[in-house]
Amino acid sequence: MAQAALSLPSQTGGARPAVRSARRIERRRMLLWLVPPIAWFTVFMLVPYALLFYYSLGQAEDMVFTPGLSLRNFARVFTDEPYLGVILKSARIGLMTSVLSAIMAYPLAFCLAFHVRSASLKFVLYLLVIVPWWASYLVKAYAWKTILGTGGILNATLQGLGLTHEPVRLFLYNEFSVVLTLTYIFTPFAVLSIYAQLERVPTSLIEAARNLGASAWEIVFRIVLPISVPGVIAGGIITFSLAFGDFVAPVLVGGPDSLMISNIVINLLGVAFDWPMAAAIGLVIIALGLALISLSGWLEEKTQVRL
Amino acid sequence: MTTGIELRDLRKLYDGHGATAWAVDGVNMRIGQGQFVTLLGPSGCGKTTTLRMIAGFETPTSGQILRDGIDITDQPVSDRDMRMVFQDFALFPNMTVAENVAFGLRTRRMKGRFSDAEIRRKVAEHLDLVHLGSHAGKRPHQLSGGQKQRVSLARALVTDPDVVLFDEPLGSLDAHLRKVMQIELIRLHRELNKTFIYVTHDQDEAMAMSDAIAVMNVGKVMQFGTPREIYDRPASRYVASFIGHAHIVDAVVAESRSDGLMVRLGNGEVVSLAQPAKVASGQSVGLMLRAEDLSLARPGEGELHGQVADSLYRGEYIEYVVELTGNAGLVHVHEPTDLPPFAHGAPVALKVNAQKAHVVEA
Repeated sequence: MAQAALSLPSQTGGARPAVRSARRIERRRMLLWLVPPIAWFTVFMLVPYALLFYYSLGQAEDMVFTPGLSLRNFARVFTDEPYLGVILKSARIGLMTSVLSAIMAYPLAFCLAFHVRSASLKFVLYLLVIVPWWASYLVKAYAWKTILGTGGILNATLQGLGLTHEPVRLFLYNEFSVVLTLTYIFTPFAVLSIYAQLERVPTSLIEAARNLGASAWEIVFRIVLPISVPGVIAGGIITFSLAFGDFVAPVLVGGPDSLMISNIVINLLGVAFDWPMAAAIGLVIIALGLALISLSGWLEEKTQVRL
Repeated sequence: MTTGIELRDLRKLYDGHGATAWAVDGVNMRIGQGQFVTLLGPSGCGKTTTLRMIAGFETPTSGQILRDGIDITDQPVSDRDMRMVFQDFALFPNMTVAENVAFGLRTRRMKGRFSDAEIRRKVAEHLDLVHLGSHAGKRPHQLSGGQKQRVSLARALVTDPDVVLFDEPLGSLDAHLRKVMQIELIRLHRELNKTFIYVTHDQDEAMAMSDAIAVMNVGKVMQFGTPREIYDRPASRYVASFIGHAHIVDAVVAESRSDGLMVRLGNGEVVSLAQPAKVASGQSVGLMLRAEDLSLARPGEGELHGQVADSLYRGEYIEYVVELTGNAGLVHVHEPTDLPPFAHGAPVALKVNAQKAHVVEA
């Protein structure tokens, strides 16, 4: 490209063809640059989705896959028990997790953004938020077992204080323990996304509000909170999605009735060998996910305050 | 008891990256109610820190801030009833212009003091005061820089504070808009009779607007006086060179009388000054010569001699840079453009306005 451009001034008469050929070369090179992303997208996105779609249209008869062109599996997602119910329950668990995560994360992110002045302390706190991710998910989930279980720390403390006389079984193996574990595990995502938004709030806004006689509560509720809504939404979407699709917490700390949709899909794949049904559920969830992301993107845009 | 603000030996220690330094190092100042006082100095001179201590955003390391004779050093920001206008405007982006202005009237501490109708009236009145009546419903991001600063001003004034603090409010505006806003601020100050404490590094701004200027450097007030005092009688070489581009030539006092003094330059030439100064004969001093206190003449017709080193056509005047004979120093002279010009290298004489020439420490 550079050579073609350089030869331009010398070619007085044939400047136009030279420009054209230079453009053609440039375009060809551009295509070359596009090959890796297109290949990646095809191999890792298009082909799997196509396969998923292909399987979803077929049937499993006697645990053997037979191709087909039927939408029956999609209808079954909404009509057959327990699929729709479990999807809704997973959504409920996801929603509770995202709301609780936001509530847990907001004060920490706020403190990190406005109250920690020293840069090194800020870095350390930031690191402490991320560090749990260096530990395995399973270890963290198991940790809650040892806290909430009948012989766990919580029950031991309660009994030690004389508040209860026998182990409380309410803490573990139910939806409460699933939500608690998921909230614990996914809160860092909420912290980071809310913190990123709060970091954008200029300190002078808070100083101006104080200067105008506003109390701490007024500053939070009239200025900081409204500006940080998009960060809360973004964090909420991440924690919701992660919690919605989780399958470890329900198995480890959930009760017999707290299976989530990912567990159902795993069972269909590995136990029932009903791949078409699993594929159909997967596609429905992907469609719901896309709708949710579009909605939240629109909401984030709507609530974003131009600074 | 005095009304107004008094700073008593105010100090602020800053530590950044392990090293500590006095950002503000013993500032004493008295600002009467209704005065327009400017803290002027280069960046890092402590002017903004001083202002932020008055506002309550910074806690002094030592010293006192008094308001009408009462110590307010430890009073929380929100109780001080002084309004600040910020350099970056600090408008609340989630509110309209009108909501921004109404903010200070709607805080909980103001609850019940104003009815909704009163708030609406006050907001409208103050938006008119800053010529933004038609922009009430806009969001801050829809406004230009100058308009934002006017909103910020209206927001500060609407609660009718006695003291308004300005932290380089015109710093982010372009030169033309700055001039317009300067005139606006002077008008508001005259009409409202509030104390304005203003921080800037722009000496023209300070000169044009202030009743008094505190020239600051390295955390200290170098001189506190009216613009005229500071301009005509700078207390030190630093003040002289910071204000109004004075050129200072080394000299020795030849004679010090009660009605004036004579100083001798390095090249033996003598200048007489009509203003007496507390200097003794034989003492080394700096002779401050401003461009407008000098005029060019043909050789032999003035006290000083030299040759034209450069001439710059400035439109309003021609600025000559004159090298004094015997390498005694460089001075600048402004001459009307309608006089016959002096050529580069031409020998010239300089007449010195004895009333205005001034000596500072060596």
